[in-house]
Amino acid sequence: MAEGGLEGGAAVDMQAAHSLGHTADGADSPTSCCCPGDAGAVAVIPSGAHPAARASEVSGWSKSTVPLTQRPGIRHHRFALTVPFPTSLEAEIACGSLAPDAEPHRGILGKDLKVSGCMLEVHWISEDSRLLRISIMNFLDQLALVVNTIKRFGPPVSR
Amino acid sequence: MPAVLGFEGSANKIGVGVVRDGKVLANPRRTYVTAPGTGFLPGDTARHHRAVILDLLQEALTEAGLTSQDIDCIAYTKGPGMGAPLASVAVVARTVAQLWNKPLVGVNHCIGHIEMGRLITGAISPTVLYVSGGNTQVISYSEHRYRIFGETIDIAVGNCLDRFARVLKISNDPSPGYNIEQMAKRGKKLVELPYTVKGMDVSFSGILSFIEDVAQKMLATGECTPEDLCFSLQETVFAMLVEITERAMAHCGSKEALIVGGVGCNVRLQEMMAAMCQERGAQLFATDERFCIDNGAMIAQAGWEMFQAGHRTPLRESGITQSVALRPSFSERLLLLTPGASPKMTFCCTMSLDLLEPQLAPSMGYL
Repeated sequence: MAEGGLEGGAAVDMQAAHSLGHTADGADSPTSCCCPGDAGAVAVIPSGAHPAARASEVSGWSKSTVPLTQRPGIRHHRFALTVPFPTSLEAEIACGSLAPDAEPHRGILGKDLKVSGCMLEVHWISEDSRLLRISIMNFLDQLALVVNTIKRFGPPVSR
Repeated sequence: MPAVLGFEGSANKIGVGVVRDGKVLANPRRTYVTAPGTGFLPGDTARHHRAVILDLLQEALTEAGLTSQDIDCIAYTKGPGMGAPLASVAVVARTVAQLWNKPLVGVNHCIGHIEMGRLITGAISPTVLYVSGGNTQVISYSEHRYRIFGETIDIAVGNCLDRFARVLKISNDPSPGYNIEQMAKRGKKLVELPYTVKGMDVSFSGILSFIEDVAQKMLATGECTPEDLCFSLQETVFAMLVEITERAMAHCGSKEALIVGGVGCNVRLQEMMAAMCQERGAQLFATDERFCIDNGAMIAQAGWEMFQAGHRTPLRESGITQSVALRPSFSERLLLLTPGASPKMTFCCTMSLDLLEPQLAPSMGYL
């Protein structure tokens, strides 16, 4: 079930559906980000720049960073992944497990995790396509492990 | 009587352990072994861990005779170690903690070794020689804290041995260090190698370069055998470790020495340390390969202590850390660790006092 869901649900969106500054908008995200504040965040510190005040409004981002989209003159790759789960609780659990580990190469690449209903949404921004590919592949491997763990040791106990 | 599940996978060993009140109920483990002449890379290691971790978890629960509801706390290695393997284990720990609605505790790998060493051997306040593929430190408890008294200034002793094994294409099964130890027993000739103790510290990269260089030449001319080289390398690096351990023991007036970490399995090292301890009227403690080598139960044990002390790791702070934080200064060389110790412990894991939560400090018992 879980594997089928993963294959059927992964949406490869090469056009940015959301800019990273957009995800803070409550109207667009019916479910707040499950991910604890800084956990899934990308620390992007453009050389010489100061953290923009608006960075603190962006959910899922570290307060001391400026989102990659703010950096002038740099062209970014974007990648979006949507993973459906049977319940919103399982989506939250997956987000809670996958968000805390920081990305390497934080100045060049970052990702943001968000839960929307029963969906886990992941958005990448990267200046480098090779690093983007590596990050996506690693994420998919980790995601498969989380899904298998839920399958084998779930369902979640009632709270 | 809390039961704690511990996950460990910071290098090429992956283990899941269960500990309850100082008793190890289960401790299964698998090792990712690469071909002779090669080492293990992070991505491949993580792949190995992902493939076996869920089976290991099931094995651990079955061996312990427990269900998920009997577990009170989930402990995992937060760091230090290799990033990808650490993360592949951490996501499972976070997932089961959320599935079963249990608290999560992130454990420092080094503390896991030390706490398991103390538990198994009963050592009270030893000078610890922590030697593995990734770490080489002499740690002693002095004036209310763990302190690093001496360490490697470049590579770990286990790393030196592992990389030497690659040069000679010695098998990595069950581990390169084990095979070097067996070959060393058949060595007869002592080849002179650089001896690099630097005050309280040691250095191994020079010895490694030297022996990599001379190995091919000497073996080609028949001047010595691979067994002689294994023997010579062990004698040299182990003597260095004994020296810096003795120096720390002298400084602290310590009557106990404890060896932890994978290299601690080495019987020759234990012999040499025992001889030094005997000369000082001190006692040597060491564990067997079940606990010297990275394992899940040591993480469960350290996690148990942290859990009992009230420490919890919120999900948002549970990200893995490849390196242990901070050396504040050379003069104050502190091992900064996650806090967690039951008050009755004389040997306390602690962060520097000014970083510690005020409400935790009184229960630590180190003030």
